[in-house]
Amino acid sequence: MRRHHVRRTRIVLGFLIAFGFVLSGAIGALAYFMPAIVTAIQDTGHAIDRNLPTATASAIASLGASPSATATAQSVPPAPGAPFTVLLLGSDNDAKFMGGPVLTQSMILARVNPTTKQVVMESIPRDMWVSLSTGGFAKIDAAYEHGGASAAVATVEADFDIHIDHYAWIGLLGLVNLINQVGGIDVVATNPVMDDFYPADLSGKNPYAYERVAVLPGPQHMDGLEALMYVRSRHGDLRSDFGRSQRQQQVLLALRAKAKLLGIANLPDIATAMGNDFSTDMTISEIASLLPIASNIQLQNVKQVILASPYTSTGVLDNEDVLLPNWNLILPETHLYFPAV
Amino acid sequence: MRRALTVILVLALMAGFGFGVNRFIASKKHTIPTEASVFIPTATRPKIVLPGTLYLAQNGDIYRLSDGFFTDLHLSTSKGLWMQPAYVPNSQEIVAVLRAAEYSDLYLLSADGQIVQQLSNNANPHLNEVFLNHWMFYPRMVPGSNTIYFSYDQPKDSATYAVDFSVWSGTLGGKLAATQISDSNPFTGGDVDPSPMANGAVIYSKFAIGSGNAYSQIAIQTKPQGKPILLTTPAEDCGQPAPSPDGTKVAMICMSGTGGQSTRLEIATLTAGKLGPPVTLVNNCLCADPEWAPDGSGLVYYNTADATGHFELWWIAGALGAAPAPPLQVTTNLDFDATSPPSWSPLSTVPVMSR
Repeated sequence: MRRHHVRRTRIVLGFLIAFGFVLSGAIGALAYFMPAIVTAIQDTGHAIDRNLPTATASAIASLGASPSATATAQSVPPAPGAPFTVLLLGSDNDAKFMGGPVLTQSMILARVNPTTKQVVMESIPRDMWVSLSTGGFAKIDAAYEHGGASAAVATVEADFDIHIDHYAWIGLLGLVNLINQVGGIDVVATNPVMDDFYPADLSGKNPYAYERVAVLPGPQHMDGLEALMYVRSRHGDLRSDFGRSQRQQQVLLALRAKAKLLGIANLPDIATAMGNDFSTDMTISEIASLLPIASNIQLQNVKQVILASPYTSTGVLDNEDVLLPNWNLILPETHLYFPAV
Repeated sequence: MRRALTVILVLALMAGFGFGVNRFIASKKHTIPTEASVFIPTATRPKIVLPGTLYLAQNGDIYRLSDGFFTDLHLSTSKGLWMQPAYVPNSQEIVAVLRAAEYSDLYLLSADGQIVQQLSNNANPHLNEVFLNHWMFYPRMVPGSNTIYFSYDQPKDSATYAVDFSVWSGTLGGKLAATQISDSNPFTGGDVDPSPMANGAVIYSKFAIGSGNAYSQIAIQTKPQGKPILLTTPAEDCGQPAPSPDGTKVAMICMSGTGGQSTRLEIATLTAGKLGPPVTLVNNCLCADPEWAPDGSGLVYYNTADATGHFELWWIAGALGAAPAPPLQVTTNLDFDATSPPSWSPLSTVPVMSR
């Protein structure tokens, strides 16, 4: 009886010691990934609300918007390895907009096919005049301002007649810190990017003041602030926002090159760097699973789409300079790469 | 007592195991090179000894490479970053750009880095009118002369957003911005990388925008504000021209591949104002800023050493001939400023002066 008791005690003790080691190891791992976990709780897994009200069909039809602008797709998670669509959003959330809703300066639809390792990036011009999912018509950059990521996703889904699986939003400092965290990026600047009216909102001065920017052309190493100047400036470019959209796609591809060098152990540093300037509906494990996909995609398998003329034309509505979409051209082009719903 | 010690030992082992797991995961973190991991050039030696004297910029300072040794010019960065050195013919002086936050100026510097003369004054004292500042970049001297070419953001109408470089010329000791040489295409960034040629013309990169894309063409200008001769096509998208010392060939950098992520280094024969078929020396690279050795024995350029970035100096011997040698990486872990073309003086030794 006593021998049996001793044996049982030894088993329990052995189990407790083993459990103690497992627990200790888990605490060690938890401590390492704590910044990423905090980010995961704060910034990731923000589900898209797909029950927002949509504009009326008659209002849409009267202004020549997309014929299917009232339709919003239901969320169906993509199967593992299946192609998926991400809406990338970038905002000027600088000192001018502290605490308030912000516009999106950048909207890029990205279609990723993990099996064929192909990517399509389609930049949506910020001045495109569309029906918003929250009602009424405005430039598409106002969708996020009116209803956050859910409204931006619903607006793009309805107007472009596509389904979006995920979104990722990043603010100015988030982009700067992300690029700095990966050690900067190597970019071939397409032309001298000159701007005498670049917002001085990140330099600690009057956020409404201007500063001068001169990004010299050719291959160069850029830190976060330099890269931000390159993708944000638009005044000195004949193409205005379209030139900027091209540069934004170029910098995304340069970041892809740096993603090849990253592993899951780099996530805590990156999460800390991006802080509150990032949000997504993806979970941290889904983000981690994107790293190997990014590193496996070859540049020749990347297709870039810019909706310049004839897809859009300039116009004035509500005393604003806007871009009027030609849906008869945009939808067929978009649906070549992003399946219609 | 023994039992207590055993419990303490087991707990310590558990804590050590947890710490070990933490450090094991940390060891799997990929180290990404940062500025801190870059050496200063004077702490290194190039793999080969190049002829003459090269001037190069790194991290806001200018270095001289002569006889296989780097020398730091120890330029003060209190007012901005130093870049784009250009040797002054038949002297031991250089012209360089001092880039501040919102303007840049040209300076004449002595061999030991002392400021001999501030050649321009592009700073505007009125803080609220930043558009009254100006940029000057890419100085290059005409061999055997005191004539200088550079890119300057003039003429500029402060009432518009158009800020574009044009090529200008002037003289050291005379008026710096004396003559506007090129007329830039508005809202493109303009004309950069001027390089004087032996026949009195100037070759440069001319930017334009067409079919929704920005591109550069190599242009030759024979008289001020005349019509340039365009040597390359928009589709080739070539720039950063470097004419060989004998004027028979031009080295250039052209865009390559998808998404503006790489370049190629090419050379082509220049005959009667026309470029022959280009020969690609290096493809699918981040090649930048080719510069010929003064004796024509080869050319240097910048390129990254690997996927982690950092621009190093590379050398191709015999680039003028029919069978150039394979590229040779000359420096390691120096991360030169790839927007600063190196300048190559034929003088091989420069005496170090007391400061």
